[in-house]
Amino acid sequence: MTDNLHIRAQKFFAQSLVEGLTQADQSWLDQHLRECADCARETASTHELLHALRNVPVFLPRDLAARTQLRVRLRAQETAQTSPGNFLLWVITGFSWFVGVLSAPLVWRGFAWVGSYLHVPKLAVEMGFVLWWAVPALFAVAAVLHQKGLNIGTSRGRN
Amino acid sequence: MTDDTQALAQGLSHRDPDLLDHLIELYQHRLYRYLLFLTGNPALAEDLFQETWIRVLERGHQYNAKSKFESWLFAIARNLVIDVSRRKKMPSLEDLGDQDSNQPYDPPDEHSVSALQLLVARENQQAVQLSLLKIPAYYREVLLLRFHEEMGLEEIAAMMSTPVSTVKSRLYRGLAALKSALPEGAV
Repeated sequence: MTDNLHIRAQKFFAQSLVEGLTQADQSWLDQHLRECADCARETASTHELLHALRNVPVFLPRDLAARTQLRVRLRAQETAQTSPGNFLLWVITGFSWFVGVLSAPLVWRGFAWVGSYLHVPKLAVEMGFVLWWAVPALFAVAAVLHQKGLNIGTSRGRN
Repeated sequence: MTDDTQALAQGLSHRDPDLLDHLIELYQHRLYRYLLFLTGNPALAEDLFQETWIRVLERGHQYNAKSKFESWLFAIARNLVIDVSRRKKMPSLEDLGDQDSNQPYDPPDEHSVSALQLLVARENQQAVQLSLLKIPAYYREVLLLRFHEEMGLEEIAAMMSTPVSTVKSRLYRGLAALKSALPEGAV
């Protein structure tokens, strides 16, 4: 028997484990394994190796499932509690943006009128207008971050 | 899509607590074993186990029931392991089979074999266990998924977001690496 046949047999055997063989290749391999003791020993050893791999003992930590179930339930409750608050925050933010966009031209005219009446420089008027836009948004971001921080803090405390 | 997976997807999207309790119970061994094989660290595997289920709770609505639940679950766990390994260096499999733990999983059937066979089997398992320490985690992962979880190549590839050819090549190399890592005479 040539070395090529043994190499082919080993290749087919690995292939049978990983992706399967065609009927013809499987028959050839079975025939070869019946005739070649070395290759049969090699394949038997790989089968034993896989059997041992399947039986590697893994020790499950005590109460892991129960502890996880508790943690998941607590998180679910926490999320359920914060969800209405988040929804309200989104509604308020959306409404404030809507009103802000609608009233922007009016406010701009108001700023311009006040600026010209009080002789305030144009740059200061523009900055005032930008602040009028930015400050509520900054407050909203601060509120969201504060809420998130509280949530993270609570969940860490429970862990 | 079967009725079962559809019901599962619906339950997950509604964050059904009883369903989650049941799933945690059902998949505890398989998920923990997968995480332990990947990380090699029981404490880290335990943390990631809990974190995986928190993600399942929070992202349950993303499960579309087109894939098997376990593939989706393992993919979540896998992503968490990747996140952690980016943050800190992953330990090896040195703690696998921690003797301090006292709840054995998947023990060999002691009544069906003789004491000598059992001893040999245990030695083989230990040899395999030690060899696992020596091979890279990406080989351990595919070997576990293919030969322990008995997942199909496409399923593994989808779970890992990798081409099937990569999964195949890792399996061939992983098998070869495991065999060559075994001490002489073992198995």
